[in-house]
Amino acid sequence: MSLLTIKNLSVAFGNPANPFRAVENMDLTVNQGEIVGIVGESGSGKSVTMMALMGLIDAPGRVTADELSFDGKNLLKLSARERRKIVGKDIAMIFQDPMTSLNPSYTVGYQIMEVLKVHQGLRGAKLKQRALELMEMVEIPAAKSRLDAYPHQLSGGMSQRVVIAMAIACNPKLLIADEPTTALDVTIQAQIMDLLVNLQKSQNMALIMITHDLAVVAEMADRVAVMYAGQVAELGRVPELFRQPAHPYTEALLASIPEHSKGAERLSTLPGIVPGQYDRPSGCLLSPRCPYVQERCRAERPQLTPSANGSVRCHFPLIAQPVEIRDRKVAQ
Amino acid sequence: MSQIVLSARDLTRHYKVSRGFMKGHATVKALNGVSFELAAGKTLAVVGESGCGKSTLARQLTLIEEPTSGELSLDNVSVAKAGQSELKALRRKVQMVFQNPYASLNPRQKIGTQLAEPLTINSDLSAAEREAKVKAMMAKVGLRPEHFYRYPHMFSGGQRQRIAIARAMMLNPKIVVADEPTSALDVSIQAQVLNLFMDLQQEFGTAYVFISHNLSVVEHVADDVMVMYLGRAVEVGSKTALYAKPLHPYTQALLSATPSIHPEDRKTKIKIVGELPSPLNPPTGCAFHKRCPHAVERCKQEVPELRPIGGRQVACHRAEEINV
Repeated sequence: MSLLTIKNLSVAFGNPANPFRAVENMDLTVNQGEIVGIVGESGSGKSVTMMALMGLIDAPGRVTADELSFDGKNLLKLSARERRKIVGKDIAMIFQDPMTSLNPSYTVGYQIMEVLKVHQGLRGAKLKQRALELMEMVEIPAAKSRLDAYPHQLSGGMSQRVVIAMAIACNPKLLIADEPTTALDVTIQAQIMDLLVNLQKSQNMALIMITHDLAVVAEMADRVAVMYAGQVAELGRVPELFRQPAHPYTEALLASIPEHSKGAERLSTLPGIVPGQYDRPSGCLLSPRCPYVQERCRAERPQLTPSANGSVRCHFPLIAQPVEIRDRKVAQ
Repeated sequence: MSQIVLSARDLTRHYKVSRGFMKGHATVKALNGVSFELAAGKTLAVVGESGCGKSTLARQLTLIEEPTSGELSLDNVSVAKAGQSELKALRRKVQMVFQNPYASLNPRQKIGTQLAEPLTINSDLSAAEREAKVKAMMAKVGLRPEHFYRYPHMFSGGQRQRIAIARAMMLNPKIVVADEPTSALDVSIQAQVLNLFMDLQQEFGTAYVFISHNLSVVEHVADDVMVMYLGRAVEVGSKTALYAKPLHPYTQALLSATPSIHPEDRKTKIKIVGELPSPLNPPTGCAFHKRCPHAVERCKQEVPELRPIGGRQVACHRAEEINV
C-alpha cells in the first residue's frame, strides 16, 4: 500500500462563483522509501499542493479531494488537533530559503530541541543529546559549539542543514523538500542533495522533492511529476521520462534547457506564458502554446491516462510519434 | 581579430570594514588582481559562487566604483586618466542588466518613460524622436507598442527582464554587463531571454560580460570563460577548451557539482567538502587549498599565479601533475 495517496485534489481561492484553481485534479501516490520529484514553472501549483497536504491552506482557500490519505489515515477527516500530531512528526517539510525559515531570535539548538519537546516529550540531558546527534547526522562541523549559535552566525548551507535536522528530528515517514537548494551555491547544493539522499536511504523515508530545476530531479528522483497550470501534465519514471517525454510541455521544458542545445545557436523556446485566472482555455491548458495542437485539444480537456513510462495528460501523447524539436520564434 | 573594447589589468578592489568600536578597520579583498580582454561582439562569462567577487567586478567595469588599483580601459580610453567629461562619455558606452527585474525597474514610472530616460539624459532628441526610438527598441526585444504606457507591475518576470535589456541597449553601448540576468526566471523564460541576448549581440555587435553561477547557461552564451574564486581568477580560457577539459580543481569541482539532466552520462563525480572561506580571513597560499582534493604543502604556502597551460591560463601549482 502506498504511503501517501492524493486523488483529485483541488485548491481554489477567491470568489466561489468564479474561483481561481491553483491546483486542479491532482493525483499522486508516494510509496515508502521512494523519492518523487515535482517540477514545474512558477505558478504551476507545486507548493500549493504540498501546503494543502500539510494543512497549511487557510480560508478563503478551499481544499477538496476525493482522497487525501497518509499512512492509512484520512487527512481530510482529522481534526486540527489530530492533524498537528502528524504534521511535523510523520510528515516534515523543508522550505526554500533557510535564512527566513529559522527564527532569528533563538539559537539553532533551541529550535531543534523545540521540535523534540513538542512531539517526543524529551527533556533535560536526553533532549540535548538528541539535538547534538541530529546536528551530527546532518554533518554540521563542530556541532557542540554550534548548538548555541544564532541563525545569523551560520552560512546559508549550514542554516539549511539545521532546517533539515529539525525536519528529520522525529524520524518522519515522509519528508517534503520545497526547493531546498535553490538559494544555495552549486557546490553547496551538491552537498545538500547528497545529504538528503543519504538520509532518505538510511531512514527509509519517502522524499518529495519540489523544484523548478529539472536537472536536480534527474539526479535524485525515482519518479517525477511534471506540473503545468495546476495540473499534473505527466508522471513517470526517471530517467525514462527525461529520455523520452510523452507530453509536449515536458518536451518543450527539456528543450529549453541550455544543456540540451549544446552547439546550437539558439535555444528552443515555448512561446507565450502560463494561463492566469481569466485566460484559462476551455480545452487542454497547454493548447494555446502547444506546437502540436489539434481541434480536439481546444475543445476537450484531456484526462491523465496511462502511457509508456507512466501517465500523461494529453490527447496525442508524443511517445508513439517522436518528432524533432524545432526552433520556435521568440514569443511576444 | 576584432577590436578590443574592454581591457582590465590587475584590477583590484579592497573594501574597508569596521570591526567595531576601537578596533580599527579590516580589509576585504573582494577583487584581487583580475586581468582580461574583451573584443567587440564577444561574450566573456564570469563564473563563481557567491562572494567570489563577480559583482564587485561588475561594479568596477560599469564605473560605479573606482578600483583600488589596476588599470581599466574602455574602448581604448584609460579610465584612470579620463577627465569628468570623458568619463561621462564612457559611461554611455557601458550599460548594465541586473539580476532581479522586480527590483531594477521603477514601479512608479511608465515603461516608456523609463526607456526614454537614457536618451533624455544623454542626447538632445525631441520627445517625439525619443518615443520613436523607444518603440523601435521595444519591438526588437519583443514588446508590443501599447506596452509603452504601462507600469512595471503589469508585466511578468520575463517581460520585465526584456524591458531591462531594452533600457541597457537604448544608447547602443559597446559593452553590456549582465549580472545573473536569468537566475530569477523560469527555464522556458530563461531560454527566451538568452535568445534575445544573442539576437541583440548579432545585430549591434555588443560585447557582453555575462556574470552567472549557472555553468550550463554559460556554456551556451560564452566565447571565453573566467572562473573566479575568492577574488582571483583561477582559470581563464576559451569556452570550448575549458568545458572540454577543465584543468583547475575548482573548475572541475564546479562542473561536476552542476546537476545534469542525464546524470547517468557523467563520467566523474568530485566531492567538494566545506564552504567558501570568509574573504575577511582568507586562507594562506592558494585560497582553494582547504577544499581541494589535490592540495599539498606548497599550496598552503604559496599563492599560485595564472600561467599558460593547455591553451588557457590556470592558477594552480599542480595543474600539470593532476591532469595527466
